[in-house]
Amino acid sequence: MTTTVKERPASTGQSQSGMLLEVSHLRKSYGKKQALRDVTFALKPGVSFGFLGPNGAGKSTTMKILTGIVKADSGQIKLFGRDATNDIDAVSRYIGYVPQDITLYEKLSAYDNLEFFGQAYGVNGGELKKRIREVLEKTGLHDRAREAVATFSGGMKRRINIAAAMLHRPKLLILDEPTVGIDPQSRNRIFELIRELNREGVTIIYSTHYMEEVEALCDEVAIMDQGEVKAIGPLGELLERFGRQSIYLEVAGMQEPPRLDDVSRTEKEGSGWRLETARVEPVMRQLMQLASSHGWNVRQLRVVRPSLENVFLTVTGTALRD
Amino acid sequence: MKAMIVKELKLIGKDKRSFFFLLLMPALFIVMFHSVFGSAGVSGLSIHAIDQDGSEASRALLSQLGTMVEVELDDPSSLDEQIGKIKQGQFAAVLVIPSGFASELQNGQNASLKLYEDPASQTALAPIHAVLGNLSDRYRELKISRALQAHGENEAQVGKTMASPIRIESVPTASDQIRYVDQVVPGMTVMFVFFIMITMTRRFFEEKKTGLLARIRSTRIRPIEYLIGMWVPFVLTVIAQCAILFAFGHFVYGLHVGDLSALALVVLGLSIAGTGIGLGMSLIVPGESAAMVITQLISMGGAMVGGLWFPTYMMLQLIQTIGHFTPQYWAQHSLLDIVAHGAHVSDVLGGVLVLLVFGLAGLAVAFFRLPGFLRSAVS
Repeated sequence: MTTTVKERPASTGQSQSGMLLEVSHLRKSYGKKQALRDVTFALKPGVSFGFLGPNGAGKSTTMKILTGIVKADSGQIKLFGRDATNDIDAVSRYIGYVPQDITLYEKLSAYDNLEFFGQAYGVNGGELKKRIREVLEKTGLHDRAREAVATFSGGMKRRINIAAAMLHRPKLLILDEPTVGIDPQSRNRIFELIRELNREGVTIIYSTHYMEEVEALCDEVAIMDQGEVKAIGPLGELLERFGRQSIYLEVAGMQEPPRLDDVSRTEKEGSGWRLETARVEPVMRQLMQLASSHGWNVRQLRVVRPSLENVFLTVTGTALRD
Repeated sequence: MKAMIVKELKLIGKDKRSFFFLLLMPALFIVMFHSVFGSAGVSGLSIHAIDQDGSEASRALLSQLGTMVEVELDDPSSLDEQIGKIKQGQFAAVLVIPSGFASELQNGQNASLKLYEDPASQTALAPIHAVLGNLSDRYRELKISRALQAHGENEAQVGKTMASPIRIESVPTASDQIRYVDQVVPGMTVMFVFFIMITMTRRFFEEKKTGLLARIRSTRIRPIEYLIGMWVPFVLTVIAQCAILFAFGHFVYGLHVGDLSALALVVLGLSIAGTGIGLGMSLIVPGESAAMVITQLISMGGAMVGGLWFPTYMMLQLIQTIGHFTPQYWAQHSLLDIVAHGAHVSDVLGGVLVLLVFGLAGLAVAFFRLPGFLRSAVS
């Protein structure tokens, strides 16, 4: 499966197919455990791409393969138009990686950490100093630059964790669950930072198991489960394709929901009922007629927008947090 | 690689535990060992004595004894008290000149002296027995001389007869005299150099556990650069450690540091040996606890058999032989040659070469183990 997503201002380095990244039939096992069964996807430059799936779905392994940390057992990776399957190092200067854990030297200052990671990505001298200033301003931590990271809050550490991957101005930024365990304020700040980078043309791969993060940040999504990409595409397309529309009905004193031909599934939800249907308008009309003829005391009658959670359930057969 | 080296040096600089193990502990040990053993050569041997006879002859004996050892004369009535002190381990023996000593001598009888001793303190008793044997010989020689003179020999003839058929000539092998500080400063420095292995293992495990190593793998730092970048700062740390401890010995105890280029060469060899072994161990051991045990074994075991605490000639032949297989022996041997025997670069090249072999063996282990270590860090 490949993506079809609206293209943002083009970055350099895509292949003839116009793709920045093409991953084909990636497989990886750790001993007897198969982490990736068959992962295939492609990204156009400038997209903000979300990997959605539960823990153990294979998101982190895929990201580690893309950054050269782990080698795939088989499959092919084309990055920036080059075959990078066995030579990620050749393109690593264009990739930034933010791991799931806060991987910083706690005893060192934020500045020292950034200096180290900047040099590790090949940036030196006056240019490095300039870029450190830039990322510190973007993350809002300029005033705390000389303080040890150990003294920072979780949210501040997360921001420096991201900043450390931005110093070499990567064209592709891979973020593995970068908001785990932080407060909403810090999360919003990180979201803003990612959106800004994406606006500047940086292609984003964002892994999470929070639906709302994908909905807020990504314009394209891959749903992963048990080492496979179960569904992939633009968010709207996935919602349309896999999301089931439904109507929420709440009537005072109603013990049983009405039985209608076009309703495929009925589910109790709160004080009312959720009626799943592919034909929202006719069902809605029928319900209004019934309410009028039976004299129902209707408290709520509304269309429920299909959610990513709903899509996940349809695609994988399980709820994301199961 | 420069980024790795600078970062690692900053981290070592902020590590208080390393400061304690690498500098404070050895400095304390130097002070402690020097205060306990350092004065042994100055004050020499001493012996407690009780003169119950109180005669001219007994005083003459004590005077003779005083020319050989320091005599601590106790009250004649305090014998029980002194025996009690021996039992408590306060000293090894007390010499008693019983009353009647002078009259026995005058009558030509065997005048007896009593040595109350702690049988458990054989090491301390051996030199006391030697001194008293010497004293007894002097009295015997005096008796024979008098007998010969009584038989009509003049003084020159007696002197010739009494002269020993053999003569022992002392030939010093170096212009300097070995003082305890010459032994203890290099000894403690060498011993605590190997404690760097704890710091090294801890750092590698931290990098692995926190995911930093995996993250570094995503940067442009290659595995071999990572390994060397982690190693070089520890080599520099050990060099600084040795420089500080030798400076401490020099300025506080007047240690003569000898040929500085030779000293620098041995310190370089020692730092490569200690950190090379540490690097190999860091990438092999399954955990920090195992590393701690192995480090103690290498540091303390090597110190013991390598002659860091006491000169090797004081140890059993088997231990001396085993000592030759430790880097500590070669480091200590070379350092002692420099500080006490005036050795130069050419004199210590052999020892340095052995140290480099130890270091390179550790580096080779680390090099071959590196891919496996990296895999275990990212899976």
